[in-house]
Amino acid sequence: MHPTWRLQRLLHQFRHALAAPSRNPRTAVVIGRLLAAAFLLCFATGIYSHFIQDPLPGMAFLTRPVWLYQVSQGIHITAGILCFPLIFAKLYAVFPELFQTPPIRSFPHFLERASIAIFVAASLVQITIGLLNTYQWYALFPFPFRQTHFALSFVVIGSLAIHIAVKLTTISRYWRKKDSFDDNGDLVVYDEDPDAVFDQPDELRRLTGKPMNSGITGRMFAWIDKEPEETPPPGKATQKTPQQEAQTSRRGFFVTIGLVSAALVTFTAGQSFRVFDATNIFGPRKNDIGPQGLPVNRTAKAAKVIESATSTDWNLTVSNGDVTRVYSYQQLQAMPQYEVELPIACVEGWSQYAHWTGPRLSELVDSVGAKRGATVRITSLEQNSSYAVTEMQPEFVRDDLTLVALALNGETLDIDHGYPARIIAPARPGVLQTKWLSTLEVMA
Amino acid sequence: MTAIRRWQIALMIVGVAFLALGGIVLLTDIKPTRYLGIAGWFVGALIIHDGIVAMVIFGVSVIMRKFGRRIPGVVIAIVQGALVIAAIVAAIVVPEILKQGIGTANPSILPLDYARNLGLFYAGLAVVTGLAIAGYLAIFARRQKLRPSISHD
Repeated sequence: MHPTWRLQRLLHQFRHALAAPSRNPRTAVVIGRLLAAAFLLCFATGIYSHFIQDPLPGMAFLTRPVWLYQVSQGIHITAGILCFPLIFAKLYAVFPELFQTPPIRSFPHFLERASIAIFVAASLVQITIGLLNTYQWYALFPFPFRQTHFALSFVVIGSLAIHIAVKLTTISRYWRKKDSFDDNGDLVVYDEDPDAVFDQPDELRRLTGKPMNSGITGRMFAWIDKEPEETPPPGKATQKTPQQEAQTSRRGFFVTIGLVSAALVTFTAGQSFRVFDATNIFGPRKNDIGPQGLPVNRTAKAAKVIESATSTDWNLTVSNGDVTRVYSYQQLQAMPQYEVELPIACVEGWSQYAHWTGPRLSELVDSVGAKRGATVRITSLEQNSSYAVTEMQPEFVRDDLTLVALALNGETLDIDHGYPARIIAPARPGVLQTKWLSTLEVMA
Repeated sequence: MTAIRRWQIALMIVGVAFLALGGIVLLTDIKPTRYLGIAGWFVGALIIHDGIVAMVIFGVSVIMRKFGRRIPGVVIAIVQGALVIAAIVAAIVVPEILKQGIGTANPSILPLDYARNLGLFYAGLAVVTGLAIAGYLAIFARRQKLRPSISHD
């Protein structure tokens, strides 16, 4: 009987049971601001990382500071991890909205709820696949990670803009603390929410006469809210006012989110930022762990280069149109050797400085008469990789710090770090620091 | 037209443009055979969020509502906070432990003993939580003693 009104009552009861001091529009605005900032940071750094790998025609990138990409991508991953506590906090703050009655009031309301569903789903998927990608758990992805992560970034930011537009009145009302609470410390309420009042006479009551606390769920919710019988012992003067209790609850909420965010940064950010290295206990990478004390992403075995890279007739072919020069390993060693201190900074967020030695890329391409503004196509011996052939833009080719590195931290390159020769350039993602070099072609 | 209205329209335009851009990237960069996989993740996210996590949080909220009144609010806030911190750190670290169990492409990926570290983190969290409660209750008890003497004056 009256299924619609029974559902309405159940949803009212749910919302009432979920009412809590920290679940209010002010909390949603405070957490929402932080989450939006984290999303925008992730988006900006993500777009930077995308275009430095796939530049549009005419794009040029900064080669200084040398840690630019390292910091940008470290921020991407760290802010992405911080999105977890923030999004959980945001969803917690607006939780009762999930049980709105009627679930859909009008077409605009349908659009609002649908856009929020897409926003929530896209955001959760985006941060989850991002995290799992840093654990290299690719088997869970029935889609190409990079393209999906890129496409979803626009969906997330677009939904964010729409969400802000829809909620702008609420956001402006609760933007400042002094507008959000009255002199008693109670939240200023602009729109009374009938769902939050427990004994509001509803349609079911009008039709059947049944009060809110009847039936199984009604009795249960009434029992939940029954005040304890015993009164506080007399003289217990420290009994707090409802406003103080509410403040405690709200403060507890914000302190918790602050602490968990601080803990996550402290215990993971060491993979990207050396200052946190000592406390890096949860980062998927750890500085100084790997061959020659440096982490590795793709090993020589995985790239199927062990034979070709250790072959005695390995050489590096440098060409410019019809001009071709072939360098043996010994000839590369005989060139002027430069030493640079540059980070390997992976798209997955981890990074570490190392000491590299080898000839300058610019001197190699000059030996075949490269023009100053020329791009260089770099080919690796590695198999089955979309990064086996990449292009380096002139600003990186011409940079004095860009080397064809033969040695790492004073030792011959480990084969997993790209023996016999690899590229190392400032402010570029690790995936473009091509290992196991085969050819360098100067482009027109 | 108010300022808010103008901002709303501008944000809506930006939002729809970005959604369209996301759609174009999806259509051009990803094979249609993969769409089902992406859709599956979306549905999965909504089911896990709305169907499982939301219901668990609902249950916990209701229990706290019923039984939380007998305990000082600050103590509840501290315990709740510690449990939330434990849960969120688990959400980040447990998948890492699972993936480590499956195996990694080379030893420099997931090189730490994450299960032990999570245990150590929880031990530390329990100690800090205990100290915070003890500290609060000590202050609370002192205030209780002081209060009557003030009112006699």
